Amino acid sequence: MTRDDYQLAEMPSLAKLYLNAAATAARTRVLGSTPSVDLPPRATEVHGVLADIAKMTEYQHLVGKAARDIIPSGYLHSMAFPVAMSVMVREDFPLPLLGMIHLRNQVEHLAPVQFSMPLSIRSWARNLAGHRAGTQVELVVEIRGDGGTDVLWRGVSTYLAKGVYLPGLDKPASAPDIREDFQAPNPTGIWSLGVDAGRAYAAVSGDFNPIHLSVFTAKALGMRRSIAHGMYLAARVLADVGSPKPEGFSWDISFAAPVFLPGTVAVRIADTTAADGSWASSTFAGWNARTGRKHFSGSVATLVS
Amino acid sequence: MTASNEQSPALTPRTIRPAVVVGGNRIPFSRAGGAYAKASNQDMLTAALDGLVARFGLADELIGEVAAGAVLKHSRDFNLTREAVLGSALAPQTPAYDLQQACATGLETVIGLANKIKLGQIDSAIAGGVDSASDAPIAVSEGLREILLDLNRAKTIGQKLSILARIRPKDLAPDAPSTGEPRTGLSMGEHQALTTAQWKISREAQDKLALASHQNLAAAYGRGFFDDLMTPYRGLAKDSNLRADTSLEKLASLAPVFGKRLGAEATMTAGNSTPLTDGASTVLLASEEWAAAHDLPMLANVIDGEAAAVDFVHGKDGLLMAPVFAVPRLLARNGLTLGDFDFFEIHEAFAGTVLSTLAAWEDEEFGRARLGLDGAFGSIDRSKLNVNGSSLAAGHPFAATGGRLVATLAKMLHEKGSTNDRPARGLISVCAAGGQGVVAILEGR
Amino acid sequence: MGASAHASTDKYTQFVSRGLGKDLAKKLGLPQPAILRRYEPTAALLTGPVLVEGSSHGAEELAAKLLGWGLDVRRHATPKEKLGAIIIVLDELAHPDELSAPVRSVGASLRDLLPSGRIVTISRPAVDGLEPAVAAARHGVDGIVRSVAKELRAGATANGILLGGGVEPASASAMAALRFFLSGRSAFVDGQFLTAGTPGTLDAVDWERPLAGTVAVVTGAARGIGAAIARTLARDGAQVVAVDVPAAGDHLAAVANEIHGTALQLDITAVDAGQRILDLGFSRYGRLDIVVHNAGITRDKLLANMDAARWDSVIAVNIASQLRMNAAFLADGRFAKGPRIVSVASTSGIAGNRGQSNYAASKAGVIGMVHATAPLLAPSGGAINAVAPGFIETEMTAKIPFATREVARRLNSLSQGGRPEDVAEAIAFFASEAAAGINGNVLRVCGQNLVGQ
Repeated sequence: MTRDDYQLAEMPSLAKLYLNAAATAARTRVLGSTPSVDLPPRATEVHGVLADIAKMTEYQHLVGKAARDIIPSGYLHSMAFPVAMSVMVREDFPLPLLGMIHLRNQVEHLAPVQFSMPLSIRSWARNLAGHRAGTQVELVVEIRGDGGTDVLWRGVSTYLAKGVYLPGLDKPASAPDIREDFQAPNPTGIWSLGVDAGRAYAAVSGDFNPIHLSVFTAKALGMRRSIAHGMYLAARVLADVGSPKPEGFSWDISFAAPVFLPGTVAVRIADTTAADGSWASSTFAGWNARTGRKHFSGSVATLVS
Repeated sequence: MTASNEQSPALTPRTIRPAVVVGGNRIPFSRAGGAYAKASNQDMLTAALDGLVARFGLADELIGEVAAGAVLKHSRDFNLTREAVLGSALAPQTPAYDLQQACATGLETVIGLANKIKLGQIDSAIAGGVDSASDAPIAVSEGLREILLDLNRAKTIGQKLSILARIRPKDLAPDAPSTGEPRTGLSMGEHQALTTAQWKISREAQDKLALASHQNLAAAYGRGFFDDLMTPYRGLAKDSNLRADTSLEKLASLAPVFGKRLGAEATMTAGNSTPLTDGASTVLLASEEWAAAHDLPMLANVIDGEAAAVDFVHGKDGLLMAPVFAVPRLLARNGLTLGDFDFFEIHEAFAGTVLSTLAAWEDEEFGRARLGLDGAFGSIDRSKLNVNGSSLAAGHPFAATGGRLVATLAKMLHEKGSTNDRPARGLISVCAAGGQGVVAILEGR
Repeated sequence: MGASAHASTDKYTQFVSRGLGKDLAKKLGLPQPAILRRYEPTAALLTGPVLVEGSSHGAEELAAKLLGWGLDVRRHATPKEKLGAIIIVLDELAHPDELSAPVRSVGASLRDLLPSGRIVTISRPAVDGLEPAVAAARHGVDGIVRSVAKELRAGATANGILLGGGVEPASASAMAALRFFLSGRSAFVDGQFLTAGTPGTLDAVDWERPLAGTVAVVTGAARGIGAAIARTLARDGAQVVAVDVPAAGDHLAAVANEIHGTALQLDITAVDAGQRILDLGFSRYGRLDIVVHNAGITRDKLLANMDAARWDSVIAVNIASQLRMNAAFLADGRFAKGPRIVSVASTSGIAGNRGQSNYAASKAGVIGMVHATAPLLAPSGGAINAVAPGFIETEMTAKIPFATREVARRLNSLSQGGRPEDVAEAIAFFASEAAAGINGNVLRVCGQNLVGQ
């Protein structure tokens, strides 16, 4: 937290941010704009953020978690998402928000967060880089107790602006293709995702990105059908892994192929134990139950302090 | 009454006394959509209770406690067992409670009530269970449910109208229960298919077990074994799933139904899996004193019980493999080995479940790594397994299976009497949804 | 069951018993079946005074006993006085000429008989070795009873008691039979005789609960007549073990629970059926006093078309099983304290019935068995009797086509079908301790069916 941060007086509305993003996109198409390779220089911050307990409960039920008073790790991401969005809709942000693809989330959940705790959320962008399919960027979010200094939750989300190539950013020499070498193992679970899975998650997370909402809105953005939120998949797999102990933990999920809706995702979760027999980590993967094509993979692990 | 100034001394716990199985009664089990299609859980449980009451001349008798349950339960059946008692020939002063431990419900009611008898809290009890897959509760959708609850809280007509306006066509689609595990989305059959493949159980072995189940059950009917264990209901006098004339050829001709989307070789068919079934069962338990005072038979003692659960969500163990862990613990506590039993009643959720359980017990590595033993836990004499048939032939109305097993085994033990200078002894093993298992030991008398 | 008096009275009987229907029936000359007076535990034995006709010593003693029952007894008819019953004591008949005075005297009082009134004769049987005139006189009573029964109206019946050697009109067994005939228990018994073979011993009887403290087994108790027997025995105080085939277990359980009895699902043709009944009775209740062989099946076919399965199954269930079970009972030392066996026979076993050669064989066989078994039970104070029902309104007879059923139920002196309870009451009477000395009888409960005796 620095004095130089852009301070937002209140939590921005995601709906307005999406409208804003659409307007920016339209303006860019109409007026053209000079491509920039610089990220906004300062972080954006909001203070006094409180979880909406009713929405949080709906979220917990939707992803299959018991409604505890501790805010789920994925829900903290959702709470912070408008702040990250407000970074991405800034005029000095070099990539178009709409149509951006979620590649990866890395989260360190350092301490449990009570729903009643006022929070400050800070976000900035970093590591603008070339990708074999466009340009990627990392959005960092840090969550602290309001007025506190300890980071409680830190997340790094990697997004890809598909087909956007910025001058001066080279494609990586050997783009690792995470779809390679995936052999579907025996699943430990099957998720049947209905056509409304995107709308349902949008309702509890507030993320009304049109590519998740309907075939129509998805097609408008070049997708053949609507797709499931990456964060919904992450939240469900986190719920299935259960509550890690100790409560400090990290998780990491990489998204390979989108999950078109409706769809059936096969999931496998496997545990590793520490020398003393306690839980150390879980790895997980999700794939198309019919074709075997991988959708996502990742891990959850204890944070040894 | 005068108040005493003397201090009352510390109470000493009562000593434990035996709990005996007096007998049982069930209605024949019917494949879903059959003879009991229109009967509710309460109807069937009441019928099973009335048959038990009639068999033992207990009309208007006050029983210590009745415990039963159903896995698929309507919200209106919040007090299912008590309502069934009130509708039965038992004294209306008989207390009752509901219990639910998925397919282990019936066995758990027996263990729990037997414990109360052993502790002297009650002298008599009826344990039981019931399930209807035909009359399963269909819930309103989550959206409609919330709207209706909000509507109930609304005060003004304006509020009510605006709440009603929220109803969308999709809210009106009903929400039927599935046999899928909530946490994995896999059906029980799919879970078992993974386990069956993991333990390399062949299709032929599964079909053979299914055939034996039908043949054993048919033979038991043939010699009138169930005459004092069953009361007909709705025109059904035998389990409707029983196929006395089935054969390995017929079973081999059936197409696999589970495991097809799991990659593994699919070996589980409708023939070696239990069908959805309706039915109810009850068991009369008592202290020796109560049974003697009522001149009632004492078939077997309820010796001990054990529950276990496995972490199937993370794929560590198969969904239905908890008894694999429960039995070694139960036997160790009682100083017994598998060789000390005369009968094994292992619930046949699927033929693959029974065979995977036996395979795990016979596996050296599993015994060492997972059961903490020096080697394999052991094997059982297959001629002692489910000798009067089990769920593959009789069917499996989830909560009713435990009562069927206990009454059947108790009668078998009583008929066998003693052997090798000890009472005949039997083991019951029931796997259950949620990765659970409940097992128990009975001794004949 | 708790059925009201009207509930199981057939619709025709209800119709012609009231208002418009009654007038209509009279004008058209239709039969006018009465609503019969049936037994209720608290109701009075009779609805009016009882006239005792006869001048013998036995008649005097009997009249005294009736006073002891609290009845309003008349030794001479009072003109115009309505009567509940007329008892004609003819125990000293020597010649048919002696019938004239008492019988015609009764005839003068017949119009004063109340609805569901009773005529009961008490006489002696025309056994072998009698003077021809004595035998003629005694057997004359038979004709009188059967004829008067056909003349009576409004539910009134005529029946007779035959006194064995050494039995007097006021002997315990004769009085028990008399009470049965006077009471509503015999509502559907008409034109029949009971023989009191030995005097009996019991004087102090709990007439409200005559079976208190006894344990009774009823086979075929799941429905119909068997269920009614179970209920009636329980009402009279018996602890009942209700037996039926496993397939009828649900109905059986309902009956057992209703009467606080025990259900035993048992195929009575099983070799060990008798033993299992004994075991249950003695292990559960410590005793077994009464066995009612009610279970029976029909497999009707003209003899020309009769197959072995039909014939053999009827014989196996209806008579062979009873013989086998009785053998087991008689061989068991515990079943020896004045045991009572009552078998359900059938009018088909007496008069025969087209298409029922197998059934009639089995039921006539039952009658033969009863006669032969009676002397075996007599020494222990036990008895075996049979009840032969006529047309009884049950689920089974309800399946008979309407026209056939209508004819069948009117073909008797009471112009109606009987109820299962009517059969049950007769059985309860035979099972009661008061009926000691009444052994080897076959009592028809048929409303004096026009066929047979």
